[in-house]
Amino acid sequence: MPVVLKKSSRWRVLAAHIGLIIFIGLTLFPFLMIISISLRPGNFAGGSLIPHSFSLEHWKLALGMSYADTDGNMVHPPFPVLLWIWNSIKVSLISATVSLVLSITSAYAFARMRFRGKGTLLNGLLLLQMFPSVLALVAIYALFDRIGDYVPWLGVDSHWSLALAYTGGVAQHIWLIKGYFDSVPYELEEAARVDGATPFQAFVYVLLPMALPILVVVFVLAFLGGMIEYPVASVLLHDEQKLTLAIGSRLFLFNQRYLWGDFAATAILAGIPLTLIFMITQRWLVSGLTAGSVKG
Amino acid sequence: MASVSLINVCKSFDNVSNTVNNVSLEIADGEFCVFVGPSGCGKSTLLRMIAGLETITTGELRIGGKRVNDLAPSERDVAMVFQNYALYPHLSVAKNMGFGLRLAGVAKEEISKRVNGIAGMLQIERLLERKPKALSGGQRQRVAIGRALVREPEVFLFDEPLSNLDAALRTQTRVEIAKLHREYARASTIYVTHDQVEAMTLADKIVLLHSGAEVETFGSVAQIGAPIELYERPNSLFVAGFLGSPKMNFLAATVTAIAPDHVDVRTTDGHALTALVAPDALKVGDRVQFGIRPEHIEAGTAGAAHVFTREVQWVERLGESTYAYLRGDTHAPLIARLSASSQVQTGEQLALYAPPAKAHLFDSNGRALERLAV
Ligand SMILES: Nc1ncnc2c1ncn2[C@@H]1O[C@H](COP(=O)(O)OP(=O)(O)O)[C@@H](O)[C@H]1O
Ligand SMILES: [Mg+2]
Repeated sequence: MPVVLKKSSRWRVLAAHIGLIIFIGLTLFPFLMIISISLRPGNFAGGSLIPHSFSLEHWKLALGMSYADTDGNMVHPPFPVLLWIWNSIKVSLISATVSLVLSITSAYAFARMRFRGKGTLLNGLLLLQMFPSVLALVAIYALFDRIGDYVPWLGVDSHWSLALAYTGGVAQHIWLIKGYFDSVPYELEEAARVDGATPFQAFVYVLLPMALPILVVVFVLAFLGGMIEYPVASVLLHDEQKLTLAIGSRLFLFNQRYLWGDFAATAILAGIPLTLIFMITQRWLVSGLTAGSVKG
Repeated sequence: MASVSLINVCKSFDNVSNTVNNVSLEIADGEFCVFVGPSGCGKSTLLRMIAGLETITTGELRIGGKRVNDLAPSERDVAMVFQNYALYPHLSVAKNMGFGLRLAGVAKEEISKRVNGIAGMLQIERLLERKPKALSGGQRQRVAIGRALVREPEVFLFDEPLSNLDAALRTQTRVEIAKLHREYARASTIYVTHDQVEAMTLADKIVLLHSGAEVETFGSVAQIGAPIELYERPNSLFVAGFLGSPKMNFLAATVTAIAPDHVDVRTTDGHALTALVAPDALKVGDRVQFGIRPEHIEAGTAGAAHVFTREVQWVERLGESTYAYLRGDTHAPLIARLSASSQVQTGEQLALYAPPAKAHLFDSNGRALERLAV
């Protein structure tokens, strides 16, 4: 450690560490609990953390395989879990990509161009974003139901419609990226212009590479948002084959029969794509790329 | 290489007042032209208009005889060095320098050949693979200059390139820029600075700009000319006071006699002084400013001709010379540069000789009268 610490503050550091470890334990406990539930036979939410008996039956079902129970009856997977995960990934990828493209270009306009009504528009975006999208559920349903009459692939029960609905949440991303663009000195683009770049080349070769960390953040946020969204998906999707994981996994919890074990295995499975996305994008999340461009 | 001409160029940001007002000037092929003036006088704005980073409100800009008002920066074939260097932080030094060539579609081998050549000249070969953040201020400035040189443009533009460097590095880089221009580039260069020493040492031609209210009344340009010309024949009080370090001394005075080849004046404290200037429309009794540079003042004997006496308020001994600060007409003191051996003391009444051949005279509007002795 570069800074010398007083004796008394060593105790504080120790206390802080103990506090942090307790906190980590608290956050990890639910996760370990879910793993435990998914690995024991039967569908019970309670029980001890370390299972008394061990079974892969829930995992088999989640992965779409049948298994024979103790009486010798074949148990078939109740729902197409892998398909739901794929649906979620598909919708999230589409909406994250479209969101990114839209928010990059709009943020550029807001950060670098001068036009009338800019301030009003920006504030309007922020304000609209503040209304919970749940309030618009009826409107969203009516809208896509109507569109479906004319453009069948963009109606209710379509992944494209869902992705489009998710893309409506770009306002926050625009603000985020605009804030980053604002922090990049405009002189850099001017230097590029004098070096012979068109405005578009200055944008692509100078501004975008520098904004890479924030673009990755926005992509991950948008992807994550799509993966866990519930209300809009629940009104737009009905066909069991089309469900996303977030709404599909609700089907495990009937009123009379709660399939906690299957639910737990599915939940863990759903976390894997998110973890992967995060691990892949992590190395672009380096900050401080602008350091040293201008006199600092 | 190309000449640059500005014809009645004006710039207004708010359509109310002109930030840059009515600038007309001619920069010849290969000439080193320096725009100098106080901070906020519109130097950068003028330079950015030439680069194409600001639109020209009215007037015409020609590069190489061709009107370029409506051309994008990329079509003007100019290179610019920014005050803050503006290096691309995500690119290595080599990529920074080759950026313009890459956009222009020059072949890879040709780019690296030219980058290496310039890097050798600027002694930055060792740095080519580094990112800008791993460079010192002086190195960054070299890279920025290198990036401009590599493109071999028609016109070089510099916006206060040395203002972020420390004093020693500034002097060194200044000499190098001058050398580069003489030996290598030979392209027309426009260099913006607020530092009159840089202007005097670098320029073939100085364009001194007004600031504040004078921009509207007289236009942005105060005077254009070779450094020595501006030093010896400033056309106004503003120019006389801006160039030279320390500044020229001004004594308020009244005209007492007029001859075709000189004007006699009396200072407010009653000393008779003479300036060898053409009297023009000057009349006896007119109020004028008598100007004399610190380096032209000599020690004198009280009561002799062309001598005035003032109380010494402060003395600076620099070793090679001595500066005496004397009570002035305003809160600004008069300064005299005396020999190193001068025994002058704070508080004494010092008699100083103002050689008529070295004196300047300015009428009540601040316009200079033509000097006859230089
Ligand atoms: N984009 C702009 N919008 C409005 N006013 C500006 C703009 N750029 C510069 N100015 C004004 O123009 C004047 C000259 O600025 P500048 O050319 O940067 O001066 P200098 O480089 O001589 O210090 C300043 O008063 C500044 O406030
Ligand atoms: Mg400036």
